[in-house]
Amino acid sequence: MSKLENKIKVMPKAVVCEDSTIKGDVTICSGSVIHPSAQIIAESGPIIIGENCIIEEYAKIIHRIPPDHKLAQEKNHVLVIGANNLFEVGSTVEALKIGEKNIFECKSYVSSNVTISSGCVIGAGCHVVGEQHLPENTVIFGKNCQQREALDKVSGSHMLQLDFLRKVLPNYHHLRKPCDIKKAANLS
Amino acid sequence: MEYLLSKNVEYVCECGLLKPLTNLYFCRHCLNLRCFFCCHHEVDSHFCRNCLENIPSGEAKLRKNKCNTCFDCPSCTLSALSARATTIQVPMTKEVKEGGEGSEIEASSGKMVSKKMYYLACLACRFSSRDVGISDQPSQNFFWPEQEYMHAIRFNTILNHYYSVVLHDKQLKQEERRRRSTKQSKFPNMTDRTGLNVSAIRRQMGFDKSAAKPKSKPTAIAPSIAEDVDDLPEEIFTQPINLKNITTIQQRFTQPANQPESVKHLYPQHKNLSIKRSIRCRHCEHNVIKPEYNPTSIKYRIQQFASSHVPEVRIIKCDQLVPNKSALITLKITNPTMNDMIITIMDLPTEEEEKMMIEEMRKNFEKNLSVSNKSSLMRPSLIEDSRIVSCKITAKLELPDSSFVINQRDDSAEFDDDVQSDKKDPKFILWRKANKIAIQLSITPNGELKVNDDVKIGFSMNFTYSSVPSSTPEKKETQRYALCARIYINAGKIVQ
Ligand SMILES: [Zn+2]
Ligand SMILES: [Zn+2]
Ligand SMILES: [Zn+2]
Ligand SMILES: [Zn+2]
Repeated sequence: MSKLENKIKVMPKAVVCEDSTIKGDVTICSGSVIHPSAQIIAESGPIIIGENCIIEEYAKIIHRIPPDHKLAQEKNHVLVIGANNLFEVGSTVEALKIGEKNIFECKSYVSSNVTISSGCVIGAGCHVVGEQHLPENTVIFGKNCQQREALDKVSGSHMLQLDFLRKVLPNYHHLRKPCDIKKAANLS
Repeated sequence: MEYLLSKNVEYVCECGLLKPLTNLYFCRHCLNLRCFFCCHHEVDSHFCRNCLENIPSGEAKLRKNKCNTCFDCPSCTLSALSARATTIQVPMTKEVKEGGEGSEIEASSGKMVSKKMYYLACLACRFSSRDVGISDQPSQNFFWPEQEYMHAIRFNTILNHYYSVVLHDKQLKQEERRRRSTKQSKFPNMTDRTGLNVSAIRRQMGFDKSAAKPKSKPTAIAPSIAEDVDDLPEEIFTQPINLKNITTIQQRFTQPANQPESVKHLYPQHKNLSIKRSIRCRHCEHNVIKPEYNPTSIKYRIQQFASSHVPEVRIIKCDQLVPNKSALITLKITNPTMNDMIITIMDLPTEEEEKMMIEEMRKNFEKNLSVSNKSSLMRPSLIEDSRIVSCKITAKLELPDSSFVINQRDDSAEFDDDVQSDKKDPKFILWRKANKIAIQLSITPNGELKVNDDVKIGFSMNFTYSSVPSSTPEKKETQRYALCARIYINAGKIVQ
C-alpha cells in the first residue's frame, strides 16, 4: 500500500485541477469537474467517476475495502460512481457503490458498508455508517440523521454550475491533460 | 463558548438561586442582582423572525401568533421554507397574457410561453410543497392554500359557546352589582371605583330607555359522544412498517390541529411569531432590559446586564485537588465599570446570617410597598421569599488579608504599554493589567471528599460601586455604594 501505481485517465472535456490528489487507477469521464485539493484515492481497486460529476474542495473519495468487509475477498473490485453526482466541500465518501444524481453535502461521511442508489441526498454533517442500502430518493438530514423519501425528484440539476466551473477553473488553475497516462505517471 | 458561558463560577442572585454572571441582570435602583426567575417578563412587540415584519399585538392575536407569509418546514421543523422559482412552458392563452405578472417571455415558437411558477422548498431536508401535492403558484406572495382541519367547525362551536358563557357571567355580575349599589345610595359616587360605567349611571338615573336588554343565554352545544373505536387492523401486527412514511412525534407536535400520521399530510406550517421582551425588576418596577422596538435592531434601550456592573471572577488555573492538602487557585477579577473598585474578599454568611438577611429583605420590601403604594399602574408584585443557597461548600478557603483596588475600565489602555504602578501590591496579587487583576489563594478540600467529587469554594466579595449619574436632580452626582456579591466556585474534581 506504500506506493500506489498511478494510472489516471482523464477523458476529454473533463476539468481536473492539478492541485487535486489522485492516487491509484482512476478514470474520470468527460464533463466532470474536480476542484483543487479534492482527494480521490483508489487503494483497493480502480475508481471510475461518471460523467458530469462535481467533486469540490477537500472532498474525499476513497476506495478502500476494510479487511472484514464482505467484498474483501473479491479481486479487482471496481468502484463505479454514476453520472451527475455532487460531492460538496469536505465530504468523505467510502461507499463501494454509488448511483447517479446523488448529493453529498458539506462534511458528510458515508462509510464503506453503505451502498447508495440514485437521487439520494446525504445532508450536511450527516454520518452514514452501518451496513445499509439507501433506496432511491432517500434524503438524510439533521443531527440525528433522520431519513425521508423525496417524493418529488430532488430538483438539483447542477448543469449551470458545471458550465460555470468549466469556464472559470481553467483561468486560475493548472489542469491535468486529458487522456495521457504517461504524463500522469511522471507527475507523481 | 465554553469559556464564555462557563458555569464554574456562579453568583448568588438576590432570590437565592445560583447563576453564572452572564445570566444575571443588575437593577440600578435596588443595587441588586436579579435573575430570569425573579423579574417580570413583558411582551413588548411581536414580529416574524423570518421576514422581520412587526405585527401589533392585537393583530398577532387575530393571526393566532403566526406570520401570514412565512412557512416553517413541517418535515425537519427547524428551518423556514423558501420560495423557489421554476420556469414552465404553457400554451399562450388570453388568460396568461392578462393575468400573468409580466414574467412571461414570449417563446420563439409563438405558441408557447415560459412562465415562472413558485413552490416552497426546505434547504435543510429538501422538503418541497410538491411532495404533499400542493400545486405550484404563479406568484411568490400568493396565499398558499390553507390546510383544512377536521375539527375546525367543532372547535368554533365550542369557542363560541364559551364566549357566550363569559358574556352571560358578566351580565349576571353587573346586575348583581347594580342591585347592591342602588341599595347603598341613590346617587352614585363618581370617585368610588365600583366599576360603574356611564351607561349604568344613565340607566340608574332613568335616562336610558332601552335598559331592559334581553339577557343573553349561552348558546347550546351538543356534547361530543364517544364513538366505538374499531380494533386495530390485523396487518399492523404482521406487515413491516416503513418508517419513512410515518411522522415523528416532533413533526406531529408542530401541527397540533391535525397531527398527521403519514408524511403525505405534512403541510407547510405558518411560522410562529417571536416576541421582543422587556424584563422588569420586581421590587422597584424599573426595567432592567428593554429592547429597541424595531425588529431589525438587536440593540437595547435599557440594558442592565450584571456583567457590566459587577466584577467578574474567573478561574485561571487550579492545582491538583487532594483531600486535606492545600492547593493554590488563581482567580482573575475584572472590573467592568468606569470607576476604580475597592474589593474585599470575606467569608460567606453562615446559615443563621443568611436567614436574617432574608428576613430583613422581606421587611424592607413590605415597608417599601406601603410607602410607594401611590397609584401605581402595575399590580402589586408577588414577591417570593428568597431561598437559602443550595450549594454546599466543600473546601476551606484562605482569605486574603487585605482589600485591593482594581483600576477602572479604560478602552484605550489596551494600546498603552504596560505601566507598573509604584504601589507595592500584597503578595497574593500575581499581576495586574489595566482593569484586570489575578489573585492567588490557597484552598484545602475537606477530608471526607472522594475521588471525582466536586470541590466547591465560596466567598463574599464586597466591592465599591459608583452609580452612573442620572438625569433626575436628586441623583445628579455619582454616589458610591458598598455592595456585596456572594460567589460560589467549582474549583474542580478530587484526583488521587
Ligand atoms: Zn433571582
Ligand atoms: Zn414572516
Ligand atoms: Zn426541512
Ligand atoms: Zn429594582
